[in-house]
Amino acid sequence: MTMSRPNYAEISVERLTKHYAKVRAVDDLSFTVHAGRVTGFLGPNGAGKTTALRMILGLVTPTSGTATIGGVRYVDMPDPIRQVGAILEASSAHRGRSARNHLRIICRAAGLPDQRADEVLAMVGLNTVGTRKFKGYSLGMKQRLGIAAAMLGDPRVLILDEPTNGLDPEGIRWMRDLLRALAAEGRTVLVSSHLLGEMQQLADDVVIIAAGRLIRQGPVAEVLGSTAGVARVRVRTPQPDQLAAALRDAQLEVTATPDGLLQVSGADAARVGHLAFTAGVELHELTGESADLERAFLDLTAGKAGAR
Amino acid sequence: MNLISAELLKLRTTSLWWIFAVSMVPLYGLALGYNWLTTSVITEMDVPDEGPFGLISMQQIVSNLYTSGQFAGVLLVLLLSAILVTNEFFHLTATATFLTTPRRELVILAKMAVAVLIAVTVWLFTTGLNLIFAPVALSSTNNESFLGESFVWQAISLNLLVHVLWALVGIGCGVLIRSQIGTTITLTVLYVVGTQIFTAVFAVLANQVDEVFMQLRVLVPTLASELLVSGPQSPEDLPRWVGAVVLLAYAGVAGVLGTLITKRRDIA
Ligand SMILES: Nc1ncnc2c1ncn2[C@@H]1O[C@H](COP(=O)(O)OP(=O)(O)OP(=O)(O)O)[C@@H](O)[C@H]1O
Ligand SMILES: [Mg+2]
Repeated sequence: MTMSRPNYAEISVERLTKHYAKVRAVDDLSFTVHAGRVTGFLGPNGAGKTTALRMILGLVTPTSGTATIGGVRYVDMPDPIRQVGAILEASSAHRGRSARNHLRIICRAAGLPDQRADEVLAMVGLNTVGTRKFKGYSLGMKQRLGIAAAMLGDPRVLILDEPTNGLDPEGIRWMRDLLRALAAEGRTVLVSSHLLGEMQQLADDVVIIAAGRLIRQGPVAEVLGSTAGVARVRVRTPQPDQLAAALRDAQLEVTATPDGLLQVSGADAARVGHLAFTAGVELHELTGESADLERAFLDLTAGKAGAR
Repeated sequence: MNLISAELLKLRTTSLWWIFAVSMVPLYGLALGYNWLTTSVITEMDVPDEGPFGLISMQQIVSNLYTSGQFAGVLLVLLLSAILVTNEFFHLTATATFLTTPRRELVILAKMAVAVLIAVTVWLFTTGLNLIFAPVALSSTNNESFLGESFVWQAISLNLLVHVLWALVGIGCGVLIRSQIGTTITLTVLYVVGTQIFTAVFAVLANQVDEVFMQLRVLVPTLASELLVSGPQSPEDLPRWVGAVVLLAYAGVAGVLGTLITKRRDIA
């Protein structure tokens, strides 16, 4: 099982829509996920991420619109397990069955050799507990088993719904390294998550949705650049009043915190440092706050979120 | 073929099958004992070989003996078949199953094949034991073994047929009802007390409304099954094959309808 197929596959979602009785879970959603990159799929609770991923994987029938992977609908693939690996929130194994047997069943159905089950178990570090029953698995072990199942067919596309859920910091790091390595091999990786700090380290691109609709799609840096127009700086000084006055004179927005810290927005660290110097104010700390995905996300989805 | 092998592995890798296998043993013993007892009682009453003797003929007695365990065997086949399907939803394995095989109808077909295999296995088990114990029971009651008689082999073959047909009904109902507990309870009640309840209902209907209801009785799956196994009991009863057709129709309708629904249903 080597990565011998050079052809890369894009995920293409076009005007995908799913109406449930009371809610438009996904509403005219279009986006593209590129090969060789990790794409973060972000949105508040109830945004429609899981529904969208399940439609891409043929588990939920769209009300309208299409989703294709490498140009083919999932349900039309003759060997989907060799094309696409998936972890979904509710994906689960029979409680009374061992992880190894769970994987072997998938191997049988997909026409893969049984020993592939042992290979992927070793890959995710479950080889010593593979014969244990699923009901005895911790959340982290279940997520690892999910990854193992996703990797059975050595797929060129990975679709993961909150795979870091329940993983400890080491597990999260392991997952991050794994997904980055898989993308570096040219695979397409689409991963949904709530952990924005985590996403910022992991993703190359993001697709942000809220209330079933696309909010923003693009490379992380671009999305950040578009929203983080207002730079923020944190300054500590023994003369907060004097500095605040000088900064306000320069049309900057300043908020003082009780411990003598000033939050300045509208300028970068260099500008604030320069203004302080001209005003003859002594500085003890000057930190530029880099734009982060969490703020961008909250800005972008403000007012559109909320459980539906 | 891959899918059938996968389904068999699913069956083998949980404790379900041996729970069913273990419960089959005492149930079979009970059935055999009951039929043995009936044989000896009836024999002592010196029944004529042919023709009706009140409710039961010698042919009937011998057939029962050679198909001992049918009631329990069919019930277990029916439930196990249904659970093959409902398990997927109960244990949330449907996601993994349909990700591996997005053409869901193929999964249902594979499950039907496995259900038929289960039916054949259970039939082989009880028939094997019956071919040992029935002659013993018959000789212990001073009867011949009747193994040369064609009616015995007909009973044994029909026994296989009802096992298979009920297996298909089980799959169909599992697909249709989907809830593990709902399906199990519905099927058990229908199978165990359905015959009595529906016989009574149809008797009342025939009495109060129209004689034609007595003929429509065969639409009840358990009564169809009984007609298939025992043949017509009175001149106005329908022929055997009608029972087979009715059962097959149930299996077919439940299976096709269930498959169509499963194909469309959102797996979440
Ligand atoms: N089977 C269903 N029937 C009815 N409504 C549903 C169904 N599945 C999802 N929904 C609704 O669709 C919306 C989107 O749900 P979805 O699970 O896709 O959101 P999500 O982005 O994955 O949320 P989370 O971050 O909490 O996992 C929600 O309002 C949810 O209540
Ligand atoms: Mg979700």
